[in-house]
Amino acid sequence: MNSPASAAPGVASSAIDGPAIELVGLRKTFRKGRDVTVAVNGLDLVVERGEVFGLLGPNGAGKTTTVEICEGLTAPDAGQVRVLGRQWRTGVDQEIRERIGVCLQETKFQEKATVREILGLFRAIFPGGRSIEEAIDLVSLGEKADSRTKGLSGGQRQRLAVATALLGRPELLFLDEPTTGLDPQSRRQLWDVVREYRAGGGTTVLTTHYMDEAQQLSDRVAIVDAGQVIALGTPAELIRSLGAEHFVEIEVDGFAGKIRPAELAALPAVEHCECEDARAVLTVDSVHTAVVAMERLLQERDVALLGLATRHATLEDVFVHLTGRHLREDGKS
Amino acid sequence: MNPRVIRAVAIAMFKEFWRTPEALFWTYGFPILMMIGLGLAFQPRVPPPVPIAVVIGEAGAPFVELLQNTKELEVLQLDAAAADRALVRGRVGLLVRGTKAAPDLRLDPVRVESQIAQLHIERALHRAAAGGPIAVATAIEDRPGARYIDFLVPGLIGLNLMGACMWGIGFNLVMMRTQNLLRRLFVTPIRRGDFLIGYIVGRGVLVVPEAFVLAAIGMIFWDVPFRGSVLAMLAVVIVSGLAFTGLGLLCASRATTYEGIAGLMQTCQLPMWMLGGALFSNESFTGLMRWAADLVPLTHITNALRDVMLEPGGFAEVGWTLLGLGGFAVVCFTLALRLFRWH
Ligand SMILES: Nc1ncnc2c1ncn2[C@@H]1O[C@H](COP(=O)(O)OP(=O)(O)O)[C@@H](O)[C@H]1O
Ligand SMILES: [Mg+2]
Repeated sequence: MNSPASAAPGVASSAIDGPAIELVGLRKTFRKGRDVTVAVNGLDLVVERGEVFGLLGPNGAGKTTTVEICEGLTAPDAGQVRVLGRQWRTGVDQEIRERIGVCLQETKFQEKATVREILGLFRAIFPGGRSIEEAIDLVSLGEKADSRTKGLSGGQRQRLAVATALLGRPELLFLDEPTTGLDPQSRRQLWDVVREYRAGGGTTVLTTHYMDEAQQLSDRVAIVDAGQVIALGTPAELIRSLGAEHFVEIEVDGFAGKIRPAELAALPAVEHCECEDARAVLTVDSVHTAVVAMERLLQERDVALLGLATRHATLEDVFVHLTGRHLREDGKS
Repeated sequence: MNPRVIRAVAIAMFKEFWRTPEALFWTYGFPILMMIGLGLAFQPRVPPPVPIAVVIGEAGAPFVELLQNTKELEVLQLDAAAADRALVRGRVGLLVRGTKAAPDLRLDPVRVESQIAQLHIERALHRAAAGGPIAVATAIEDRPGARYIDFLVPGLIGLNLMGACMWGIGFNLVMMRTQNLLRRLFVTPIRRGDFLIGYIVGRGVLVVPEAFVLAAIGMIFWDVPFRGSVLAMLAVVIVSGLAFTGLGLLCASRATTYEGIAGLMQTCQLPMWMLGGALFSNESFTGLMRWAADLVPLTHITNALRDVMLEPGGFAEVGWTLLGLGGFAVVCFTLALRLFRWH
């Protein structure tokens, strides 16, 4: 497989072009009658070349609007947008479009066209791009190459959409919620496609409201809420910013009168404690120190430990910490 | 039946409709405008006289004078060839020959206006004969190329061009817009012009053979003649197709709902159905109606199709029409390209 970067037209100029995307003071308001929605509210962002950049945020955070501004689909009300060093609507739109690949949040391809036929259409639009077979291989749609799009599963349809985005060997790839609604296997398949694209030197901007997707796939993540970036960094940095990276959840036969929450919070390595009658969640920076001290305390006070689970902090916890809300309305992630 | 559910569904459906002004206008506002327009056009008044043709040299002068003095009739004096043409094109309802004593009428009784003309003539003769006996010879027009069916087939070909090009191209484009496919294409380096030309060719190729199939069916089943140039017919079909495609594209350039596109199309098509001379002749229209009939492209298209099918017409006969329609197509395409929205 040829690497996207080596085939891209702008490799020599990348150094002078600067970062893949620069957004400064981006603002976009939608008005419909009396309804006024501030979708993007003064957003600043720099996406470096070669990285997978995740925009993580709940529904309605302004992710799609931000990406569509970058794709030239939506004009911002205010702010500066540079994509691959170029600005939209300055006479270079065609050039930018040749260098980016886009996967919209929702696209229905012609129902009666086959996978191969759809790719053939995009192939004609991007003359220097991959061959159809190469694109089919890239997203592992070989079995379905001659099936009509109507009969494809959600995951297959999404992979087809990604294949159309990759056909032109873009330098910059936009994926808007690429795995929303997909089964775990389809999600992992798509992640592999993105990793391979990154290995070839391509830059990816990915929006998602799945914290695991952002965490596993992204080099850097911007957490977006209400049209603004509220945190930015590598997934590890963001989690570290919580101060403690682990959670210890315990279940007991009852604290009633025997142990006060403050005593749990005062144990070594414990940063924070949320306590109920027979359950507690400890935020800790060292699991073994905290667990040993906690067990000793329980024994001393004659409280029976019924269950214990530890987990690593996630971006979800970062989001909850910053906003007091969960990424998804149902609270799971 | 659960009235609560029915009520909830009804309210939900009504609100959705009410909040889509485009749909609302085309469904409920447009018929009101149409009613006013048609009401003005057809408000009660004295009906216009029924046009008939007297064949020069073949009708007695006193007979012609009698007909000219009948206020329900509009008398055109034409030579034999012109009279035949006027009959098939629907300019006149029947042809008159003979004398007051031995009148000779020629008509295709399928046309209601021909029968009305016949009744008016007979009534005038009765009055003149003061109740005495009259003997009217009527011949049914059955020569290929002079009947109503000969008038109808080219008209239907014109209507089909209009329907196929406008609906087939405009409607589908709006569907692609609502499904985000146009947006997806917009973020690629594709040029609007390339996309639109390809789209039109792809959706429109079948229109051309279809026109010839319709003509062939007329020829095989009803002996409808084909007397002119096949090449000229081909040119008329292609240029007409382009004209209607341009119009369809213009309608579809911005519409984002099915009701919107359907409404715009109907606004364009209704006047053509009524005034375009496809199903019934517009040749005897006068005044505002004449002006309106000349304005709609279908009038010129059905005329050109009849020129090449019913008469030995070629490029000389349809040249100006081709030019005019071509110009119309260019204007529509230019505007459509200007107005075109990907999303
Ligand atoms: N075309 C539009 N018209 C009106 N409001 C819109 C439009 N697009 C987005 N919005 C609103 O802007 C906000 C941000 O939307 P979006 O960018 O789609 O969020 P996300 O992709 O993060 O879920 C939402 O409140 C949404 O309702
Ligand atoms: Mg979105």
